[in-house]
Amino acid sequence: MLEASRRGDHHGYRKEGQFPPAETLAGLTDMERVTERLCQVLEAEEPPILPDETIVYTRTVRGLPPVYTDEEWEKIKETHFIHEQGRVCNISPDYGRVIQNGLDKERENAARMLEGADKTQTVFLRCVIRSIDAVLGLAGRYRAAAEKAGNRAAAETLARVPHKGARTFREALQFFRILHFTLWCEGEYHNTVGRFDQYMAPYFKADMEAGRLDEESALELIEEFFLTFNRDSDLYPGIQQGDNGQSMVLGGMGADGKEVYSLLLKLCLEASRELQVIDPKINIRAGSETPIEVYEKGTELTKAGLGFPQYCNDDVVIKGLVGCGYAEEDARDYVVAACWEFIVPKVGMDIPNIGAVNFPRLVNDAVLEDLEGAPDFESFYGKFRERLGRECERINASIHDLYMIPAPFMSLLMDGCVERRRDISLGGRYNNYGFHGVGISTAVDSLAVVQASVYGTGEITKGQAEDVVRGKGEEDLLTFLRYREPKFGDNNAITNELAVRLLNDFGEAVKGLRNGRGGCVRAGTGSAMYYLWYADQVDDTLSGHRKGEAFSANYAPELFVKSKGPLSVIESFTKPDFTRVVNGGPLTMEFHSTVFWDGDGVGKVARLVQQFIRHGGHQLQLNAVNREKLLAAQKEPEKYKNLIVRIWGWSAYFVELDREYQDHVISRQNFSV
Amino acid sequence: MATGIVFDIKEFAVHDGPGIRTTVFLKGCPLRCLWCHNPEGMDVRPQLMVSENGCTHCGRCRQPCSHPECRPFGRCIRACPQGLIKVAGRRMDAEELAQELTGQVRFFEGGGVTVSGGEPTMQPDFLFGLLDGLAGVHTIVETCGYTEEEIFRKVTEKASMVYLDIKHMDSGIHKKLTGKGNEQIQRNLSFLLSQEKPFLIRMPLIPGLNDGEENLRALAKRLSGAGALERVEFLLYNPFAGAKYVMAGMEYPLRDVDGDNYIPPIPADAFEKAGVKYKIL
Repeated sequence: MLEASRRGDHHGYRKEGQFPPAETLAGLTDMERVTERLCQVLEAEEPPILPDETIVYTRTVRGLPPVYTDEEWEKIKETHFIHEQGRVCNISPDYGRVIQNGLDKERENAARMLEGADKTQTVFLRCVIRSIDAVLGLAGRYRAAAEKAGNRAAAETLARVPHKGARTFREALQFFRILHFTLWCEGEYHNTVGRFDQYMAPYFKADMEAGRLDEESALELIEEFFLTFNRDSDLYPGIQQGDNGQSMVLGGMGADGKEVYSLLLKLCLEASRELQVIDPKINIRAGSETPIEVYEKGTELTKAGLGFPQYCNDDVVIKGLVGCGYAEEDARDYVVAACWEFIVPKVGMDIPNIGAVNFPRLVNDAVLEDLEGAPDFESFYGKFRERLGRECERINASIHDLYMIPAPFMSLLMDGCVERRRDISLGGRYNNYGFHGVGISTAVDSLAVVQASVYGTGEITKGQAEDVVRGKGEEDLLTFLRYREPKFGDNNAITNELAVRLLNDFGEAVKGLRNGRGGCVRAGTGSAMYYLWYADQVDDTLSGHRKGEAFSANYAPELFVKSKGPLSVIESFTKPDFTRVVNGGPLTMEFHSTVFWDGDGVGKVARLVQQFIRHGGHQLQLNAVNREKLLAAQKEPEKYKNLIVRIWGWSAYFVELDREYQDHVISRQNFSV
Repeated sequence: MATGIVFDIKEFAVHDGPGIRTTVFLKGCPLRCLWCHNPEGMDVRPQLMVSENGCTHCGRCRQPCSHPECRPFGRCIRACPQGLIKVAGRRMDAEELAQELTGQVRFFEGGGVTVSGGEPTMQPDFLFGLLDGLAGVHTIVETCGYTEEEIFRKVTEKASMVYLDIKHMDSGIHKKLTGKGNEQIQRNLSFLLSQEKPFLIRMPLIPGLNDGEENLRALAKRLSGAGALERVEFLLYNPFAGAKYVMAGMEYPLRDVDGDNYIPPIPADAFEKAGVKYKIL
């Protein structure tokens, strides 16, 4: 099945959708349009039953029909702020409730709410009900197809779900698949998976206790389920293929405040490691008490070279979210959005990636306009801080009259929407925004130069500093700046303190802000794609960063800095108080896959991750570097200074090796693939 | 205060002992092993390491400069726009270095600091100063054993554990391979065998040079019944050993040794008989 999935055998069922043009939707409310389109899409689907599968549902119709004509959409955009594609995205629905209740019960509930509803509310509820009916209709066709194909497992499962609540793990997984599939069909994207091990626990436990499953058959089932995430994902590209937000969160604190690490979590990690496919993307919630076995299992997965699991620190994140106004129990339930933004499932309609602050540009602006008049570093920094405050206000003010295309089926999956008779696109219990912080290391290193070399030793004059950020610095000075120490990540007091200060001030700068939906603004350390986009807006910097180079992605040392090593990086990067900048954005560290070669290496990396959590870091992503990266490193050695390869009883920085040795490492990698 | 020349400090050195460790490499070594993979560790004096890969031959490093730190090298070490020129060898204060390493102690649960080289006993005052400063931290000294007995005993006393490298059991061959006979090393091994401080023997296996059955059997026999010996670690030869020679402007003597697909001819029965555990790295 894995091979068939990799080959894309099921793509043979794909066809272009034939849908009436958006003009035919004229006269319908926006909500009715969405539901009309959802019904059309689900009706167009012709259920294929793939060989050997027991969890069914495969997209056969390519593309989704638009809800608006181009002209209509342009007009909406004229008067509204549109976030990305304008759809509800990047939130985490309550799959658990619907899987438990079944759609019949959910439909009854929605029908009951019709009583006493006003006109708008009635439209919303009718759309929810119509969506449910369309989902049940397709499920019926799938059941018939499964029966016809002689697939008893699927047919029996579909005899129960999604009409009724799931009783077994298999039924729950099939139910999830139907709900998730439908969200994509409705037009929502970055549809996250949430705390899978939590809401699936009752079904898994019941099956294990009743002997319907043992570890082996459960693993097999989980693997089949994981493959379903990869079946249609080519239809869901984000900024790049793979950027589809199918993030799964495992482990962490339960509602009762106790950490939960179950057999189900272990099997999920194992399934991911065995399959080696990119979805779902695994996140592990950890805390200071997390047992080392969890990190070891996680590291086995890192070793596979997929770039996950990503670790989130409960000790920091929960406290930070409570500080942002989330109720304790909601904060304890946090998950990650598509990438790493911390969001609250079931009730949150946060938009954690709505804006981004370009830190290096702010520092450069301050150097150009404030340096000359500032008698000492404190005055200069004060001016910079004011700029940061103004920039956050400006971004916040630029986001007004937000419009999101309604999402009635998603609303069914969000708690309280049906009861409030209100679509989730209009807001949830939490409506907070998040601002990324881009180029943090570049900004910190630049500020360190101003502090130490302009005001401190005076070895760089203010005029020279201004020339650098204008792109007119002398070559020798630029080289000096690039390789001078300290740099953020070296665990030196100057840059550590500046980073603490910078992030505190980022948190302060957004603290008083209220967004257009009444929510707050959260500051974070992620960059998303802005590490490329924003780098284009910045000339050379005092850190030695040159125009045209990318910033480091997320929260990591500058690319050209050869750091002292992972211990120093962790020391430096865990110094700031992340409860004040809790929007998310991981420290990213890369190890060559040879570090993991023997069991010792895995155990040691696991300890390192544990230490990161104990040091109070908020989020960590580890990569075992692969062959493609080595080839890229040959082409652009500047960007891969910290890429470590194991040679023989010793390690080397890959880019410092001569070509013949590099080629050898690469060819050796080939053998292991 | 004791100072010494260090050519590298490597955090998270995963193959230098148990747990999370930082390894400090001291510059200078009395041996000249043909297969040495750290050529910049041989001479105690600081030296240039120039990575040719990425060099655009812009010539900036050849232009005269006024930096005092560049004077010994006849070349500007600050001018390279690619940052390809580095100096291996930095004078450090033992106490300050110990303090810096102690700052990492939170990571060292089950791990610690390894002092390697070069040959750490070439700078005994610095080494002892460092070990004294690291009291309370688990320390390993990795040594070739070519040092006075008094120094070796003190290393054994101060370190938590000793890693002794054995290259060959026959002194004549040892001399050919490393430039020195092995009598001094064997005397120090005898000391290790006679005491209780845990130690580990490491031997690189170089095809055709020291991996003969006789040599390996002799090693097993020599270690027979050693109570404080944890195990023997064999380090497999691999042609990457020569990688840093070009950077150091030196010639790698073993260019023609083929280490690909090398299967070490370890006489397992001899080690079993001697009651000595071993591991291949």
